[in-house]
Amino acid sequence: MTLPRRVAAGLLCVLLLHGTAAAQDKFRKSPPLPDPLPELKLPAIESAVLSNGLTVAVVRRPSSPTISLQVVVLAGEADSPPKIPGVASITAHMIGRGTSLLSAAEIEDRIESIGGDLVVAASLEQTVFTFDVLEENLDRALEILGAVFLQASFPEKAFEAVKRALYYDLAERQKDPEFVAKRQLLRHLFKGHPFRIATYNEDVIKNVSRQDVAAFYDRFYRPNNTVLVLAGNMNLQTASRRISHFFNTWAPRKLDRFFLPPPVPNLEEQITFVDIPQAREATIFLGNISPPATAPDHFPFLVLNQILGGTPGSRLFMNLRESKGYAYYAFSGEDLFKRCGVFWVRARVTPEAVVPSVREILRELGPEALGKVSSFEIEQAKSFLIGNFPFRNEALSDLALRAAQVRSFELGDDFWNRYTQNIILVNLERVLETARKVLEPPPVVVIAGSIGELAEHIREFDRVDVYDIQGNLKWTIYKGVDK
Amino acid sequence: MRRAALRWTWAVVLCVAAVSGEPPAVPKGFDFPLIQYRLKNGLQVILSEDDSLPVVSVVVAYAAGPVREQPGRSGLAYLMENLMFQGSENVSPMQHINYVQRIGGEFNANTAFDKTYFYESVPSNQLALALWLESDRMASPAITGATVERAKEALISEGRQRRTAEPYMESFFIFDRILYPDFAYGHPLIGTEEDLKRITEEDARAFAGAYYVPNNAVLCISGNFGVSKAKELVAKYFETIPRGGDVPAPPPPGSESPPPARDQVVGDPLTPSPAFHVGYRLGRLQASDADALKIMDILLTHGKSSRLYKRLVKKERIALYLSGGLEERGGLTSFRVFAISPNAIMADLCRKAVAAEIGRLRTTFVPEDELAKAKVLFKGAFLDRLTTSLPRALFLCERHLQGAPLEDLGGEFNRHLLVTPVTIVSLANRLFKPENAYGLDLRTK
Repeated sequence: MTLPRRVAAGLLCVLLLHGTAAAQDKFRKSPPLPDPLPELKLPAIESAVLSNGLTVAVVRRPSSPTISLQVVVLAGEADSPPKIPGVASITAHMIGRGTSLLSAAEIEDRIESIGGDLVVAASLEQTVFTFDVLEENLDRALEILGAVFLQASFPEKAFEAVKRALYYDLAERQKDPEFVAKRQLLRHLFKGHPFRIATYNEDVIKNVSRQDVAAFYDRFYRPNNTVLVLAGNMNLQTASRRISHFFNTWAPRKLDRFFLPPPVPNLEEQITFVDIPQAREATIFLGNISPPATAPDHFPFLVLNQILGGTPGSRLFMNLRESKGYAYYAFSGEDLFKRCGVFWVRARVTPEAVVPSVREILRELGPEALGKVSSFEIEQAKSFLIGNFPFRNEALSDLALRAAQVRSFELGDDFWNRYTQNIILVNLERVLETARKVLEPPPVVVIAGSIGELAEHIREFDRVDVYDIQGNLKWTIYKGVDK
Repeated sequence: MRRAALRWTWAVVLCVAAVSGEPPAVPKGFDFPLIQYRLKNGLQVILSEDDSLPVVSVVVAYAAGPVREQPGRSGLAYLMENLMFQGSENVSPMQHINYVQRIGGEFNANTAFDKTYFYESVPSNQLALALWLESDRMASPAITGATVERAKEALISEGRQRRTAEPYMESFFIFDRILYPDFAYGHPLIGTEEDLKRITEEDARAFAGAYYVPNNAVLCISGNFGVSKAKELVAKYFETIPRGGDVPAPPPPGSESPPPARDQVVGDPLTPSPAFHVGYRLGRLQASDADALKIMDILLTHGKSSRLYKRLVKKERIALYLSGGLEERGGLTSFRVFAISPNAIMADLCRKAVAAEIGRLRTTFVPEDELAKAKVLFKGAFLDRLTTSLPRALFLCERHLQGAPLEDLGGEFNRHLLVTPVTIVSLANRLFKPENAYGLDLRTK
């Protein structure tokens, strides 16, 4: 080979190598395009009603070595008798604390012996008991559940211990400004509605007697008022047979329940302050009544919420924290009940930024800011909601929870399987229409913090009602009035 | 040489076990496919398919943590974790987070004493995006004077906040040093403020250049994907990243350790309530001892039904808080307990009760039903790490970096179930000797 030819070959080699490197660089320059959207097919919810009225719902996941059991009693805090708030919660926590044959310690030992943990959550309209076990221990778990539900005896010692624990738990939670602010918000939104009973203080717990708890249990803890969800590797027939074995002696009783209309949205501007003397920053919680999951506005509202404050990339966080530097965080969200929802915005801000933060949040919820929502933002929000949805169904207990919601909120069996499709159908017009309907009524604004720190700032509002942590109105601050 | 691909299914392991009359059948939860191979640049790849849901998790774990830090540069590994979110050649600062969040994905990172994990879970049609993001920051992390200074500032501020908010944290660092006296194994992950201030751009570049290289990392993809497509994408995004220099193993612990003081007392007016740490240095363990020790640990410290919780918190009410467990650093295992008591007298009683409970394991057989309960807890915890995509990917990476054969996870699981009361008594007598015990008392002054 002559020298020039060698040089040429060398050059060719360099060019080829360079070409390869350039090609590699090129594909690294920008993010790859996604493959087509995968179909999400959640397992069907199969259900049957046993002869005593107990509904058994099964969600099958064949690969799972564990089983998630959820017993959903369709009664919650709002069902406590009007003069004795807290009964629902105390009753729920008394389940598993003694039966006619077993002491609380013996029940605890049995639960622990199968590696389980009975977790209780009482909400407004329902009470959920979750029990996750290995498949091989299912019968033992059902035996324990059958005993604690059918033979609950409410022993005095356990009753006092539960009341004490709930009292201190509530007292402890009241140290959290977010908890206090949200409770105050709900007190306003549920004013004059039976839901308000759920916003009680810890001192009412002492008024509840064992007889109250026994009466609540006797009325609501009935098979015809309960759904037992089983998620895992089991079909409906087998599940029904095994559940029936332990629950078939549970006696049904006719329930006189009346239709409870949802609370009406707040229509007046109101700013409330809750004084938490030790708080260093200001916590804002504002919100209003929103549509239930069964309403046509639900899915557009989910997209709207995502745009506003679903994640750190949403408008509220980007504006209040990243752009203005007012807030440590700012998010929005929604709590869903059977016939309504509660939409809220929560933010923690520096004391001096409390007033501009409230104004900025209200501006973000107002027609001018929302009028600037673009189709691109809508599509981004939809992309997040669709992409994130499968993750919320990964854990077996989450899957069981979805099945329970289908039953307790009467969503329809294919509600969750239609989720993606319903999000895809949301467009700019539907979002703006929903925003007009839901966000037009002014929200109730609650600020929680130290009045000593914040009084000089909140005087900028026309009127602020100041409450203590317990919810007692202490005084009202008017703009321009010194004291 | 073409890379070798090994495909394992637990059905195969099951057959082998059945023929040899070895432990019982591998239980449900282990029948997932597993493919392992190595790229030319040394990157270990693990693929584990699961089509239950259209999601996929990607984990890249580097065998690099505080154990690789030099004296005077503590906190560098944690700083590097932070720097990996500050952008790379084709991804602007913090855009990694935006890309993942925009599609509904989830992400995070964490640093352990000898490894650092980076991970994201995304809808399965976005696997390429996750691999693009991870490969870009492996190939070209944005380490500049500005990004290093920003990360240092964030970590110094976080360290200050944590030291104020977690009054017992410093005592954990002191006790780490008692159980693991070598600097490499016993210094705090979050570093000291002085050391963090000292770290330079060059330090970070050198650390990344030495340890954030494909031949010191493992990539695991777990979830819903097609194997051939995934292999193609892995090759596309990772194969062209140059191999780094050889990464020597960290120096084994022990060589430079002075014998630590057996019992220490620290008085701190900021300590809210008296507390103590006790620990046993158990040394290097055989695999069978490690299995039995895990079951023993569950008996003693896991959950509200554990022996220590039942006695100290529920029955005698001498502890307000209790935590404990096993730890392994550089092949040396320790068992430790931390408890907070209402007053100093109760703290002393508490510490004696811990010693008594360990003594009981040396002299009395654990009842069969209690042992069975511990095994159920073990099963639940083990299976929990395998049933969803991200925990599984993290677990597979962790076990790979620990040198465990992934094809034997089912066997490992079953071996724990063979532990007997006799094994535990024997182990307690061999390992939990008074001369292996160390303590640190915290007093309010």
